[in-house]
Amino acid sequence: MAPEVRRLFLIVAAVTVMVAVGWASLFETTPPAQFSLQSGTDPKTLDPARATGNIEGRVLYELFEGLLQMLPAGEPDPETGLQALTPQPGMAESFELSSDKRRYTFHLRDNIRWTDGTPVTSDDFAWSWQRLLHPATACEYTFHLYGLPYAQAYNEGTVEVGDRVEVELWDRPGETPTSPANVKHYPRGTIRYGTLKEIRKPPEPTEQEKSRDESVELDWQDGWVYVVDVVEPRADESIDWDASATTMTFTSKTNSPVADTDSERTHGVLVAFDKLGSVETPDAKTLIVNLTDPIPYFPNIVAFYPLFPVNRNCVETHGSPMWTNVENIVTNGPYRLNMRRLRDRVRLVKNDDYYAADKVSLESVDFLSLEGQNTALNMYETGQIDWVTSPPESLLDELKKRKDFYNAPQLSVYFYRLNVERPPLDNPLVRRAIAMAIDRQEIVDEVTKTGQIPAYTAVPPGLAGYQSAVGFKEDVGEAKRLLVEAGFPGGRGIPKLTILYNTLEGHRAIAEVIQQQLQNNLNIGVELQNMEWGSFLDKVQQFDYQIARAGWIADYPDPNTFLDMWVSGGPQNNTHWSNKKYDQLIADAAKEGDPAKRLLILRDAEQIWVDEMPVIPLYFYTSINLVKPNVKGFFPSSQDLHPLQLLRFENDDAKGKP
Amino acid sequence: MRDLVRYLLNRFAWMLVTVWLVYTVSFVLMRSVPGNPFSSERNVPPAIERQLRARYNLDAPILVQYVQYATGILTRGDLGWCIRLEDYSVNRVLAEGFPVSASLAILGLVFAIGLGIPAGVVSAVYRGSASDNAMMGAAVLGIAIPNFVLASLAILLFVFIIPLFPAGGWGTLRQVALPAICLGAPVAAYIARLTRAGMLEVLTREHVRTAFAKGLPKRTVMLKHVLPGAMLPVVSYLGPATAGVLTGSLVLEKIFAIPGMGSHFIAAALQRDYTLAMGMVLTYTVILFVMNTLVDVSYAVIDPRVKLN
Repeated sequence: MAPEVRRLFLIVAAVTVMVAVGWASLFETTPPAQFSLQSGTDPKTLDPARATGNIEGRVLYELFEGLLQMLPAGEPDPETGLQALTPQPGMAESFELSSDKRRYTFHLRDNIRWTDGTPVTSDDFAWSWQRLLHPATACEYTFHLYGLPYAQAYNEGTVEVGDRVEVELWDRPGETPTSPANVKHYPRGTIRYGTLKEIRKPPEPTEQEKSRDESVELDWQDGWVYVVDVVEPRADESIDWDASATTMTFTSKTNSPVADTDSERTHGVLVAFDKLGSVETPDAKTLIVNLTDPIPYFPNIVAFYPLFPVNRNCVETHGSPMWTNVENIVTNGPYRLNMRRLRDRVRLVKNDDYYAADKVSLESVDFLSLEGQNTALNMYETGQIDWVTSPPESLLDELKKRKDFYNAPQLSVYFYRLNVERPPLDNPLVRRAIAMAIDRQEIVDEVTKTGQIPAYTAVPPGLAGYQSAVGFKEDVGEAKRLLVEAGFPGGRGIPKLTILYNTLEGHRAIAEVIQQQLQNNLNIGVELQNMEWGSFLDKVQQFDYQIARAGWIADYPDPNTFLDMWVSGGPQNNTHWSNKKYDQLIADAAKEGDPAKRLLILRDAEQIWVDEMPVIPLYFYTSINLVKPNVKGFFPSSQDLHPLQLLRFENDDAKGKP
Repeated sequence: MRDLVRYLLNRFAWMLVTVWLVYTVSFVLMRSVPGNPFSSERNVPPAIERQLRARYNLDAPILVQYVQYATGILTRGDLGWCIRLEDYSVNRVLAEGFPVSASLAILGLVFAIGLGIPAGVVSAVYRGSASDNAMMGAAVLGIAIPNFVLASLAILLFVFIIPLFPAGGWGTLRQVALPAICLGAPVAAYIARLTRAGMLEVLTREHVRTAFAKGLPKRTVMLKHVLPGAMLPVVSYLGPATAGVLTGSLVLEKIFAIPGMGSHFIAAALQRDYTLAMGMVLTYTVILFVMNTLVDVSYAVIDPRVKLN
């Protein structure tokens, strides 16, 4: 290489290094927000219909607001320090409940606006709920709306001949009849309404073909041709189902062997949920919800973030998920989105157009994506953040003594699922024996250490009006007797059992204690197996386990959320456990209008669960938080909800406003 | 100049082959591990899971997915939408995270070079002295101590005992200083040792003896005749060092709460975020390949004996 090239190269290299260093030390400085908290990992999404975790929930409760919102009521419980939160007026200033408890009429406030300036109307709620239920939204929390007629059929995409249906044509923005589906903009195709007359099906694949690949059956269903008597909507968009109709055929697969030449391509045929009176919007400020069954906790559900409204114009203009970008998103809550950077923060600033903006004290809030527990504590101790949501477990003994440490029972339970088809766990006696031989006090005192409550039932304490079923008692003698009765005297004949848990130090420690206890108390050998989360879930959902750890957090403060998951074949059941009487009781409770009676029915169901013990409850969680002493308005609550609009600094100047 | 261009073209062709191989292996591996991106504690009904699969084109036959995703990358530079961080496209994740990781890596490397080379030179020149022993002792420690231990010590020392730096976060030079130092420290230690060894080796050469015999001052001999030759092992180490700094940063990103892209690397794989994991793997492949090529080229520049081919 020529010397001049070499010299040139050196100069280029030197300049590059200097530029790189210069560039690397340039920073867009972001001044800290007035209030910062540890948010945990990044929120998965800011779409209320798609979000599921409490990390997302914490942000969504501030960005959006539902008809009702959870706010404190009454005085805190003197014993536990728990502050009760009840559904109180949010976007709706009031609601009425009909005498049969199936019809809710919500009256919206007058001065409520989206951040784009348009008013929030009852149509926004109707549309948002329909979007939540639409199969293409693929929301996990749709079952909360299953109390509305047609909601479940709409969500699951099931239709029967004779149903009044909607048909979405293949003409979403950018689609041609032969193009792939536009999945970002849905459901934007032209909608036709009519009565389903017939479903023509191509030859059904054999069971053998179906079992080979699950997509075979779904592909076959795509080839169905729907014959619909289509009616024209009236000018006000309502439908006269008995008007004169034109018969048309629709299918997803235009090359289906049973399609006509003029069959129109469709995204799907669904029950016409929005035209069948489940949700009525007589005017812009009134929303009427008709329920199939009286659901006493419906106001709680309405205050749960999946049911919060989203702005139709915003979603339709930008499509999913682009509408959640900072520059696009339109919200209606006490705060608006100001900045969002992965692994860094979500910054919210006060929404001055919020109807109660004068009651919101914090001007800007940073939700910092701090996964490291020690990092969060370091930043808390040095004054960079004001609220730690998950303090390091190894320091709890130390932290417990502090005044800024909040510790209270939470509506959630830690338990072990049992695969009741695997002998010897198919025998309830063995299941109960195992449950009785575990010393839970030792686990909560020596391992978890933050005042968790040993669990002997399915439902945690602290639910108003509910008296839990009679739990079992820890009793090694009785457990041994049960084993004798079951035909395994002294644990002889019981093969080694395996406890499966997802990789986490805490789960391992608990499993080890239980391993020790079962060995000593019942002479049952236990192996431990850990797996990372994805593989763990796969194993559990394919029933490829004997004992598997799990946890459950209440979706709403009602015993039902802890009980209806165990019905036969329920999506969360995963134990093969099935009991007809239990299923019947859960179904009866849903139909019962008298709240006191309903709770008694649920109690009977829980008693069956305790007697059969398909799941071994271990303990009820507690919430732990560290909050700076100069922050007022923070209190522990049973769902670990802490509305930011209630927080304020003791002395407003304690921290300079940005 | 011609051989340089030919060399670069050649390397570029090899890079494409490598990237394709990495793409294929990652694609196959990711889809053969148990679990899928939509698994969660709540079971997703089959109809809904199908909608989700359609959204990410996961319902197409596997070979079609393989080809379509590759076509998207080649023609549009589009790595798709993240499956788990669903509000983000992979490109946007990279665009947000890469500058942060790059800043950290550059500052870490500059710190390492700025500290390592002078330390090595001093050690070599004053071989056997107390300062040589002290610095080489420190270097051994620097290599032996993992960076997360170093980070914890640094936090204890410079955040709590002597409050010089903030405990974490990103946004100002003061926030970057501590992680950059922790990231660069092991590299600095390694560079110091390499420099010292290189210097000692070159010092025994005849051209150095000639230079001294000519009566050149010691400083000139050291800087002009010894140091360039001693730099060869250091430069060849910079390639793997860059790799180490980029991948090693993911631990520090977590400890110091830095929004770099390192942490996505593991999270994406654990959560079966196929698209994001693929984006990360490909990005790292390209970065490492480019860095190694640059090192090879600079090697040829520094040492006239090395020919590019």
